[in-house]
Amino acid sequence: MPLLEIQHLIKNFGGVRAVDCFSHQLEQGGLYAIIGPNGAGKTTIFNLITGIYEPTEGQIFFNGGEITGMITHEIAGKGIARTFQNIRLFSDFSVLDNVRTACHHYASYSVWEGLFPTPRRRREEKALTDRAYRLLELVNLADRAHEMSKNLPYGHQRRLEIARALAQEPRLLLLDEPAAGMNPDETVQLMDFIEQIHETFDLTILLIEHHMEVVMGLADDIVVIDFGRVIARGTPEEVQSKPVVIKAYLGTEEE
Amino acid sequence: MSDYYVGILILVCINLLSVLGLSLMTGFTGLFNFGQAGFMAVGAYTATILTTRYSVPFAPALVAGMITSLLTSFVIGYPTLRLKGDYFAIATLGFAEAVRLLVENLEKITGGSRGIPRIPTHTNLPVSLAAAVIALLLVANYVRSRHGRNCVAIREDELAAESIGVNSFRYKQISFAINAALAGLSGGLLAHYIGFIQPSMFGMIKSTELIVMVIFGGMHSITGAVFAALVLTSLPELLRAAQAWRLVAYGAVVVLIMVARPEGLMGSWELTPANVRALFTRSRAVESG
Amino acid sequence: MSTVLQQVINGISIGSVYALIAVGYSLVYSILKFSNFAHGGVLMLGSYFGFFALTLLGVPFWVALPLAMVGAGLLAIINERLAYRPIRLRNAPLLYLMISSLGASIFLENFTIVTIGPTFRTYPDVFPIAPFILGNLSVGRLDVIIFVIAAISVALLTWIIYGTQMGNAIRATSYNMRVASLMGINPDVVVAFVFFLAGASAGLGGVLFGIKYTVWPQMGILTLKAFIAAVVGGLGSLPGAVLGALILGVTETFAAAFVSSAFRDLFSYALMIIIILVRPAGLLGTLAEEKA
Repeated sequence: MPLLEIQHLIKNFGGVRAVDCFSHQLEQGGLYAIIGPNGAGKTTIFNLITGIYEPTEGQIFFNGGEITGMITHEIAGKGIARTFQNIRLFSDFSVLDNVRTACHHYASYSVWEGLFPTPRRRREEKALTDRAYRLLELVNLADRAHEMSKNLPYGHQRRLEIARALAQEPRLLLLDEPAAGMNPDETVQLMDFIEQIHETFDLTILLIEHHMEVVMGLADDIVVIDFGRVIARGTPEEVQSKPVVIKAYLGTEEE
Repeated sequence: MSDYYVGILILVCINLLSVLGLSLMTGFTGLFNFGQAGFMAVGAYTATILTTRYSVPFAPALVAGMITSLLTSFVIGYPTLRLKGDYFAIATLGFAEAVRLLVENLEKITGGSRGIPRIPTHTNLPVSLAAAVIALLLVANYVRSRHGRNCVAIREDELAAESIGVNSFRYKQISFAINAALAGLSGGLLAHYIGFIQPSMFGMIKSTELIVMVIFGGMHSITGAVFAALVLTSLPELLRAAQAWRLVAYGAVVVLIMVARPEGLMGSWELTPANVRALFTRSRAVESG
Repeated sequence: MSTVLQQVINGISIGSVYALIAVGYSLVYSILKFSNFAHGGVLMLGSYFGFFALTLLGVPFWVALPLAMVGAGLLAIINERLAYRPIRLRNAPLLYLMISSLGASIFLENFTIVTIGPTFRTYPDVFPIAPFILGNLSVGRLDVIIFVIAAISVALLTWIIYGTQMGNAIRATSYNMRVASLMGINPDVVVAFVFFLAGASAGLGGVLFGIKYTVWPQMGILTLKAFIAAVVGGLGSLPGAVLGALILGVTETFAAAFVSSAFRDLFSYALMIIIILVRPAGLLGTLAEEKA
């Protein structure tokens, strides 16, 4: 059974069809990519999966259950985590607290215990903090744990955002243009890092990218979209030589 | 301590209760509440009607006031918490006005605009101090818990908070409820301190003063809230002469703060042992050159 | 029957004043994306300007009115320069603009209380008070005049926004300020113009309200009605604001006439809650989905 199944997804914004009959299947453990030129509808697809937008038509199934139309936090609870194209960290929080906040589900103490501290709360908070530290070590940010997240350099912020997503212990990780704003060296490092976490955790990863070269050695399977619809599918090698894909990318530059 | 200063301290504690609630709801959760006085009124009138008309003892009456105020926040919150920030703020304004109107017009129950006189003055320094300290501890604990962090996450970026599994609606409800309970307690204590209540005591001026305190002290700091409640309650009392210009000054100060130092006096700084130590180690480092 | 008609006229009249206020408020919202609480303060001072022009300066109404409008418009520009522009230029969160507007509104209201005084003022009779007689129906003259003035003003505002060069610039800026400035539109000029329009229409609303009822320092609370109107009609929709304002005006007038005058405001708040529950987008509005 596929982990994520998207069937005939359509999204209209007023008169504009942003996503047009998008269908896709992700098998457990794979590393997938959606690529396409700017404005193709890639982030919209992520927003539809995570419940930020409601589909006009179509259905989405995760782990066998239907998640179409669910609210974002419910979907997150089912095991889908994401990062954003424009990094959305909690800027008034330290590096540690960004990740610690995402570990909230790891504890179960109630609101009352929030007001009146109990031994159970102390225990759970300690476990939660330890876990957050371990995640920070994983992304090499443990030494900056108490710095304000907004003071980190851009590349580190991106890693922090990924760490925060990992804190949810997701089964599916959605990465929206993780290499945006990075130079070639940083991009290579990031891609290595993504490959590493893919192997270390039992994760299924779906990533959005603008540049095909970035996902070349990384993704098992690529879907190319333009104007909200799929124009090609396959392995990176299959897809990169298809004329329709080249046209979609180069066509705009010719003009 | 003379009666005069005791009185000021009691008022500081009473205001602090409301300000702590606002600090949690507005400062930490990002829900702008311009109608705090409405919740104080609900608590005040509930407690007062119980003590004056039904001879209910003080403590249960106060609790009843808190509960009524809390339930009101659920009723009002259900439709309005879905609204965007500034629309929610305006809705709270409308709520406070509506409460004032209801109170003024349900004369048989509330005494109308003349209010309720001869309320037994049960509120004294030990009671109000205890209430303020307990509330301070509770709110400070809450903010440091995982629930408090979720609230801040909602304030910082609601979309990202939802994406990490935080049920933002529920947390907003909770912050709103805690705030309402504290405001209700504040109102009940106020009524039994002054000895009478009138709807004019719970108008826009009161709501404004309270929100200005939170802005002034620093919206992200409980220490700031305490400090602001202390300073902005006692200063006007001590400077009675300039009373008329007080609110004019408040308005100008708020604009100035937003233009020059929006984080308020304390920003996000809290009076914790670690932070205080950090202050001293830095200055020691400077001295040793 | 004539009572019902009178109430309807009454309602449309006050509704048109609400519409005027709501349009000014929505204009600022569409450009700067925040709720300008000081709109009420400008409305109030516009009303006072008109009052003092009539009583202190002794000028006729047709001079006092433009004086009040221009005064209010200029006040709005000064307000923007001092309280909003520095925050805007720092790219600070919109929340700060709202809080600053709250401070400005507190300042304006209480400054007026301390300097001019808290007493309610009544406009001198500017128009003959004899009602219009149509057949055997008697219709309040003041209501009709107010309605006509407000309606013409709203139409004028609509024409400016949709039919002029500056209006195009305003609408372009409301969609995307940065892009508009890249296309040669000076955002400062647009912002100043918008605030002038908003201030002038608020001032006009204040004068009209003052003529029919009274002038007092806290009358800025009227903008709350304008906000309710915008919610009822659909946030972000200018025609919605007008429609909502008229509906609000008529229904609350009926509530006041047939239940009690205290019930009027309660009814308006209740109406707002009901609309939020039943049709949150308002009658003409559409819910915009937040972009990630």
